[in-house]
Amino acid sequence: MTQYEVIIIGGGAAGLTAGLYASRGGFKSLLVERGATGGQIMNAALVENYPGFPEGISGAELGSLMRQQADRYGLEVVTADVTGLAPGDLYNVSTTEGDFETSAVIIATGSEYRKLGVTGEERLSGHGVSYCATCDGFFFRDREVAVVGGGDTAITDALELTRYAKKVYVIHRRDQLRAGKVLQQRAFDHPRLEFIWSTVVEEVLGEKMVSGLKLHNVKTGRDSILKVDGAFVAVGLTPNSQIFSSILELDDAGYVITDETMATSVDGIFAAGDVRKNSARQVATAVGDGVTAAMSAFEYLQGTR
Amino acid sequence: MLTSTRPRIIIFTTSSCPWCNRVKQYLREKKFRFRDVNVEKDPEGARELKRRNIMGVPVALINNHPIVGFDKAKIDKLLGIK
Repeated sequence: MTQYEVIIIGGGAAGLTAGLYASRGGFKSLLVERGATGGQIMNAALVENYPGFPEGISGAELGSLMRQQADRYGLEVVTADVTGLAPGDLYNVSTTEGDFETSAVIIATGSEYRKLGVTGEERLSGHGVSYCATCDGFFFRDREVAVVGGGDTAITDALELTRYAKKVYVIHRRDQLRAGKVLQQRAFDHPRLEFIWSTVVEEVLGEKMVSGLKLHNVKTGRDSILKVDGAFVAVGLTPNSQIFSSILELDDAGYVITDETMATSVDGIFAAGDVRKNSARQVATAVGDGVTAAMSAFEYLQGTR
Repeated sequence: MLTSTRPRIIIFTTSSCPWCNRVKQYLREKKFRFRDVNVEKDPEGARELKRRNIMGVPVALINNHPIVGFDKAKIDKLLGIK
């Protein structure tokens, strides 16, 4: 069985950064990624708040540059699902491509889109329900769509969709947005954006395609139906931590609890990025977490912790 | 006569679709060949999706069986990736 000093689980910004530091630091390291490296940023049309790129940079390009930089120092990457993590003298990481042993583990599995969890959502996914505005905006040219959510992603999606749709509704459960002020102003100024406040979606309607949404106003208690051809869901993220729940301490929402050195409740296991409790969930903080986790892992390996 | 068990894979994409790139990268890493149809540039491809009531990409059409989104579990199953 191949033995490593550091195994990094997850190939987003946090994982690739930890991988860069580990391989550049001369540690025998492996990064395990289930899909494609790059992580959540791969879905961002434009990243405007990562320092060093004053004009912004496409998330896909940034992700690909991070991968190239890690590759340059010889980081090994395997495409596989991690199916288990077992403690012992060495940690055993079992994956769909075989088992690996390692002295230290960095968990950087990130988070994924949260679903609404309402009737019709799953069935009509790909038939009008979407989780990616940059991917699917094209299909809604001259149609009416709704975006569900009130954060940066929701508002960015809504603005992106105005390039195609003739009308974009933003449905938000609160009476104000969580999105940044610059984005908010851009959205409020847009003539084809309309806000539906204090409202939740109760059902996605339609037989073979989305025909509308059943809405519930949480303030007035009134129900209504909004006729739309598409529903873009942007209601936040949920951490990919299920497989670690039996060995690591997680918070109620499933985020991995760490201290400021990124150490988890188990010696030799560190966590970085979105999967971590109290992460700011920014590319820049994921990168910072990745560095800290790698440094802490080095100290652990050298017995200086 | 040549016979082949190689699956027929078409990936339907749009121009700005990160998930499409991830599906394609995944298939390349797993050494599968596929045809890439950008429905923004290929009206015939766009009609093909419309005929199937599909309004999202990526779509992996594997031996005429459509999988919408990067649904790795379904893709793995249809392609026999363990």
